[in-house]
Amino acid sequence: MTPDPTRCVTCGDEAVTARVVALRGGDAVIEVDGTRERVAIDLVPDARPGDTLLCHAGIALSRVEAAAR
Amino acid sequence: MRFVDEYRDPAVARALSAEIHALVADTGTVRIMEVCGGHTHAIYRHGLEDLLPPEIELVHGPGCPVCVIPMGRVDDAIAIAETGGVTLATFGDMMRVPGGRGSLLEAKARGADVRMVYSPLDALALARREPDRHVCFFAIGFETTAPATAITLRRAREEGAANFSVFCNHVLIEPPLRAILETPGLRVDAFVGPGHVSSVIGSDRYSFIPEEYGRPVVVSAFEPVDLLQAIAMLVRQRAEGRCEVENQYTRVVRPDGNPRALEAIAETMEERDDFEWRGVGVLPRSALRVREPFARWDAERLFTIPGARIEDPKACRCGEVLTGQIKPWECGVFGTACTPEQPLGTCMVSSEGACAAYFSYGRARRRREEAPVGA
Repeated sequence: MTPDPTRCVTCGDEAVTARVVALRGGDAVIEVDGTRERVAIDLVPDARPGDTLLCHAGIALSRVEAAAR
Repeated sequence: MRFVDEYRDPAVARALSAEIHALVADTGTVRIMEVCGGHTHAIYRHGLEDLLPPEIELVHGPGCPVCVIPMGRVDDAIAIAETGGVTLATFGDMMRVPGGRGSLLEAKARGADVRMVYSPLDALALARREPDRHVCFFAIGFETTAPATAITLRRAREEGAANFSVFCNHVLIEPPLRAILETPGLRVDAFVGPGHVSSVIGSDRYSFIPEEYGRPVVVSAFEPVDLLQAIAMLVRQRAEGRCEVENQYTRVVRPDGNPRALEAIAETMEERDDFEWRGVGVLPRSALRVREPFARWDAERLFTIPGARIEDPKACRCGEVLTGQIKPWECGVFGTACTPEQPLGTCMVSSEGACAAYFSYGRARRRREEAPVGA
């Protein structure tokens, strides 16, 4: 994940939400603050381009659903 | 793009603040522990305390994974890093945590090969790129981070990686919560539950808190509006005489978490009999180790680990900060002998640490000025 200097990269708080722009070699390519990165989607295997994922330490943890506020 | 704008809407925040002010007129003082260091950081970063009535007292909890690693485990990591032919890879903040023999950064300055990574998968990739070195990943973190280590162990097995291992220090959120809840004279009325840990373990896992200890929990996300809404939900429960687990972070957290992540952790790791938590002491079944089928990638089986227990510096009161017994500014070395540049205790190292959050966002001086003479 791209480090945010105000946050600790170790903690789950560094988990970021990011949109999937492509799938590549079993991983998802996500866009975070204009930078593209690969994350493993072993735990969210049905992730597709356009989905928003919660990502932490190089893997996707969860799909982010549209907010119901 | 981080999808945060709607969760930082000042109008929504003001409305929630007004709701909380109105609710506490009925409830009186409510002491709320935010378990997660990420929440502590967000509260001070966004100045949320200033939007809350004086009846809401925020107490900081133990959920900073950097802060709870004991000095002895840092020394163990240094011992691995100083082994010939070994590269120790870990997250950035972990490199600055002081052990009995200094920090990993100081070990690096002495010649050890210590490198920063953002993912255990990066450490495995490093091992692939440098087949002549053994790459050991110093794994720390709660259930949020353990799945990444689990996936990495699975991939190491698939690849038959011969020069990679994990020094496992993953910890679990429930044992320290129980330890806090069983503290005599506990002064916490309600809990803001961790957000991203819960994306893995699920919000249902906190049901023991209302059922066994009679305190409500609201799992929360990390933006200002999220946290204010979680606090409003907790105060509303109190006003309505309810005591249950609620989930504010429904856009990510499910009641049963992520079963695939839990399965990956269970396949690769198992509970230790006990584990030392910095400042808190030894807690039974509170951490994970690598399971036997993955022994080939377990640093604790591959290396001689000193395993010494190192006492914290006497002046450091991280333990009391981590369990919500004192506020950071009540520690005698806060902001003087212990600063983010030269941390004495772990709570000052990570930006998630309560002391670092207080220090970084200007709370130090204000709190000192508010403190009664002699405090």
